[in-house]
Amino acid sequence: MSIVQAAPAQTVLRLRRENLWKKIATHGFTLGVLALWEITSWRIPAYLLPGPLDVAQSLAWLLGTPAGLVQVGASLLHVGLSMLLAFVAGAAVALTPYYVGWLRPAIDSRLTPFLNSFPGIGWTLLAIIWLGLGLSTVIFAVTVILLPFMIINIREGVRTVDQDLIEMTQSFGSNRRRDFFFIVLPTLFPFMFAAVRVSFGVSWKVALTAELFGGSRGLGYTMNIARQELETSQIYAVIALIVVIVFLSNRLLFDPLQRRLQVSSRKPA
Amino acid sequence: MRPADLTRTVAQRAIADGLVLLALAVWWWSSRHLPASVIPSPQAVLARLVAIATEPALGWHALVTTLRVMASVLLSLVLGLALALAAHARPWLDGIITDRILVVLSGMPSVGWAILAVIWFKVSEFTVIFVQVMILLPFALINFTEGLRNLDQEVIEMADSFSTRRTATLVHVIIPMLLPYGIAALRVSYGVCWKIALVSELFGAQSGLGYLMLQAQSVGDVVTVVATCLIIVLLFTLGEALIINPIARTLRKDIAQAEAG
Repeated sequence: MSIVQAAPAQTVLRLRRENLWKKIATHGFTLGVLALWEITSWRIPAYLLPGPLDVAQSLAWLLGTPAGLVQVGASLLHVGLSMLLAFVAGAAVALTPYYVGWLRPAIDSRLTPFLNSFPGIGWTLLAIIWLGLGLSTVIFAVTVILLPFMIINIREGVRTVDQDLIEMTQSFGSNRRRDFFFIVLPTLFPFMFAAVRVSFGVSWKVALTAELFGGSRGLGYTMNIARQELETSQIYAVIALIVVIVFLSNRLLFDPLQRRLQVSSRKPA
Repeated sequence: MRPADLTRTVAQRAIADGLVLLALAVWWWSSRHLPASVIPSPQAVLARLVAIATEPALGWHALVTTLRVMASVLLSLVLGLALALAAHARPWLDGIITDRILVVLSGMPSVGWAILAVIWFKVSEFTVIFVQVMILLPFALINFTEGLRNLDQEVIEMADSFSTRRTATLVHVIIPMLLPYGIAALRVSYGVCWKIALVSELFGAQSGLGYLMLQAQSVGDVVTVVATCLIIVLLFTLGEALIINPIARTLRKDIAQAEAG
């Protein structure tokens, strides 16, 4: 910011002009893609590429009719419940080595890498075998897929807990309970936020997969029905809705919060 | 390391492996009390794992999936670098790439790509690679963009003043400075690619572990479903230890040497 203020008027003008061009190019690109999509859709059968207006209509069905909203709400329920369960379980697993030191290698180099490399679709198919089609299968699959994301992020925070500070409070007669609430938990907050942020984006995407194979409701289920009936515009609408949800939640919720917390999120690789 | 620490480390390792054995024992015990269609026995899964590793007809699927993962990771790194460089070099492209293309790519559900790609390109080798590259692209793009943002502008100005050719600056200065971010991109892409390899092969392929698993699931063959998942875990771990870690180590050594020399 200070560079712009200190720069001579000419540079400011040049930067402004560059910014204007960037805006024109970006919005022009959006319009261009929409126009190209519309024109291409005239020549190609609708089951391959439905036009933008068809997709908008399907989107309106999803968001504007009770039948559509039931599916959106079901996905919301799946995402919310799974995130809650994965958060609690992930925090518990991440904190275990802190309190039970001898379990550290078991959790850090056995359990977490295993969970982290186990394919999500595998959990989904196994859940179908174990629990049948329905709510519990989707919740189980999404929760287990989210677990490594939660563990890895929160574990990062557990490692930064200030041991000197703990020693000091203990020498002043504090106990583990008080230390947990006044030192450990506050240290973990930014990392828990990062965990929730990463998991939120992932959860919508994996819920879609889980619902597609093992659900009896939700956006993924809607997409599967649309796939079988060749209603391609409905598939596009579901995908568009998820892209918009992930984008808006980042822009309106997580980015502003993150700026306050200033901690970079970490993804398991 | 003090002897006491060493003893403790060894003991903790032993506990870790002991717990793995305990988990296997619990699995074995529960497989005896539940129908094989719910929990297959560890022996049966192990036998299937060996079969996938040794029988050409089954091993073929594992090989195909591995090759696809390698190809997609490479392609996505090259494409991600190209896009990031384009956004960096031409300011008017920056909005299109980071505010449009990246937003759509990172919000796109993987199963959405898998379904759309089959609708567009039918069942083919290209379909699988396309799905994987599209899913990996945002990870590579984010890492390289981050790297370009942190480039040392003074070094680039100096390089420009020594040479008038921009390609020379790109090859000898910018790309080497991006290497750490390239390593990060490689690691993330590699991990993600193994996870989504199965999804990308579910609809669009006639070979590979994803195809094998869906076939098995549709006839209720739990043994193969579990074995496929474990093969993925094994291949991922092996590839990381034998390919990714050595690459990262070599590149890091190069960087250290370049900085020291």
